[in-house]
Amino acid sequence: MRRPARSTSVVLALAVASSVIGTLGVANAEPRGSEKPKNNDIKNVIYLLGDGMGRTHVTAARERYYGADGELVMESLPAVGQVSTYAVEPMSGQPGAADFKPNYVTDSASAATAWSSGVKTYNAALGVDAKGKVVPTLMEYAKKAGLRTGNVSTAEITDATPAGQMSHALLRGCQGPTYSEAACQNTEITGSALPTSDVRVTPIADQIARNGTADVILGGGLARFDAEDEAALKKNGYTVLGSPASQTVATRGDLAAASSKKVFGLFNTGNLTIEKYKRENPSSVQAEEPSVAEMTKKAIALLSSGNKKGFYLQVEGALIDKRSHANDAAQTLEEMKAFDEAVRVARDFAKKDGHTLVIVTADHECAGFNIIEQGTFTNAEATVPPTNVDSGNTANNSTPTRTARGAKDPARSTGIVNGAGSADPNNFAPATFRTPDDPASVTDGSPEASLWLSYLSGNHTGADVPVFAYGKGSNKLADSIDNTDLFDIVGRALHLTK
Amino acid sequence: MTRITPRLAALVVAAVVVTVAVSWVVGSALASRSEEDRPVALDPAEVAQTTLPDLAPAHGEPELDGLADAAPAAGAVGTVSGPFDDRYSFGRLRLDGAAVTGAVHITSDVSDLLELQVLAGFYDARGRLLATGRATHHLDEDSGHEAHAGPPSELERFRIAAPRRIADRVASAAVGVPVLVNE
Repeated sequence: MRRPARSTSVVLALAVASSVIGTLGVANAEPRGSEKPKNNDIKNVIYLLGDGMGRTHVTAARERYYGADGELVMESLPAVGQVSTYAVEPMSGQPGAADFKPNYVTDSASAATAWSSGVKTYNAALGVDAKGKVVPTLMEYAKKAGLRTGNVSTAEITDATPAGQMSHALLRGCQGPTYSEAACQNTEITGSALPTSDVRVTPIADQIARNGTADVILGGGLARFDAEDEAALKKNGYTVLGSPASQTVATRGDLAAASSKKVFGLFNTGNLTIEKYKRENPSSVQAEEPSVAEMTKKAIALLSSGNKKGFYLQVEGALIDKRSHANDAAQTLEEMKAFDEAVRVARDFAKKDGHTLVIVTADHECAGFNIIEQGTFTNAEATVPPTNVDSGNTANNSTPTRTARGAKDPARSTGIVNGAGSADPNNFAPATFRTPDDPASVTDGSPEASLWLSYLSGNHTGADVPVFAYGKGSNKLADSIDNTDLFDIVGRALHLTK
Repeated sequence: MTRITPRLAALVVAAVVVTVAVSWVVGSALASRSEEDRPVALDPAEVAQTTLPDLAPAHGEPELDGLADAAPAAGAVGTVSGPFDDRYSFGRLRLDGAAVTGAVHITSDVSDLLELQVLAGFYDARGRLLATGRATHHLDEDSGHEAHAGPPSELERFRIAAPRRIADRVASAAVGVPVLVNE
């Protein structure tokens, strides 16, 4: 009796073990195959974009608001990488092609096309490749596959970054409300003018109002839309906050009350208002505009409600770039903080939801933003020549390009932009800010403030930008990648592309 | 000590094979069910939104509704409203013979002035609209970004001449801005 019993136990144990092994084998081979509530399969992607946000923007905002030992919310995300951003010249082939002609500094349109459609294109192009061919966008893929879609920006919603997901245009300036040949046609690409029925020369506002690519559209730029657009939006099932027909902007209250699946709300006729102005003028009309964090929270709520298939949401903090162009460090940093609060909203949702990939990155760096040592200055005016002449070292004996001693320029080097010298255009830098590491007596704009910031230019640079990510698959972003790789990573995470 | 007989060994092997097979089938079935809710990879050619059936194609350049009835006083240059009036101000408007001159001072954020069109209407002495003319600024991305060499260009000067056929009858003018794109 003992022998058969022991034999039966062995058989049963093996059976149970093999059952477990078999099930694990399936799970390992097809990780998407498990029941969704029991795993961490990605259903949603929230893609947040700090326009013009370079690595130094992140560091400076961290030090400004949290001190050297603190961190922004985006810096708390576990995956960190860097993204190359270059564009290509008009009529260029893609990388690797014989006719490939790179342009090392991108604009927002080319960058948006890179992550939205996975191709390199020329500056000013949206949803078309460098030879003018229409290329589908991730938001179009998502919509076609039955996911819900959202597009949030603090810029005009027809501006390059949001438009890159929901339009196809030869020139980013073709924003509307009306067509003009100069703004919309690009005969360098097409040879001759296209008929105005071609989507590539159709004003972006007209496209957005009619193509239904994004279910939730929140931002600025009401002046780009008119009564016909409002009628088209309503016909397509949108709840329109405010009114394009009467040019009545939507308000924070309108947004709070919105509950339908498709919402169109623009809160300013142009770009939304900088946070600094709203904070200093709390009773102004502009203070009724929602922040990017508020718009993000509402967009997530609308997109996730009763949604089994998932959603794709893009969020842009646009004013980081616009204030960087102006070399306005104070407003740039405050916009960084506002954008980081939107990241907090996305991260908190993702942690609770368990099926959301959060990606935070930028389209390009803007203005060569940098942190300089307290008490130093910004020009290429080093007080001593570079010391790279060393006849005894063959690896370090080149002749420096400048051999004379530099000098501090009293008109250009010592101004403090956000201090008493701010009205003097010669005082272009540095801007100084107190941080939590400073004594309470230290003020912004003073020489004693510990954060000294400078700019290299008034336009975009070709520097790589940071990327931060949270959620399953975020390890793919912990790498040196190209901005076109973002298309593949998001597309595959949502099972939209092969 | 337990002895594993050939019969028992065969039974164990069979049990393992059957159990693994059943587990695999069940697991695959579960996988298939959950896949039903998943989007599938789509054909790129079918994805892009390239048709807008409810939209009538544009004809010609943009107009401003107020231009026909502006009727400025003789010798004056009036202004008509457009979609971007809160983003700029006119300066130095002047009727110079049969041409109108002036400047657009852009007051919203300017890092690049991408597109600007000033539309002018020319009127006879009785205030009747005779003809229109335009001044167009278009930033050519390949032309060297001349604005980047210095501060952002916030002031755009213009001169719009009346068509020759009505030049001798021009008594006044009005201007407005139907196109403005800056960032």
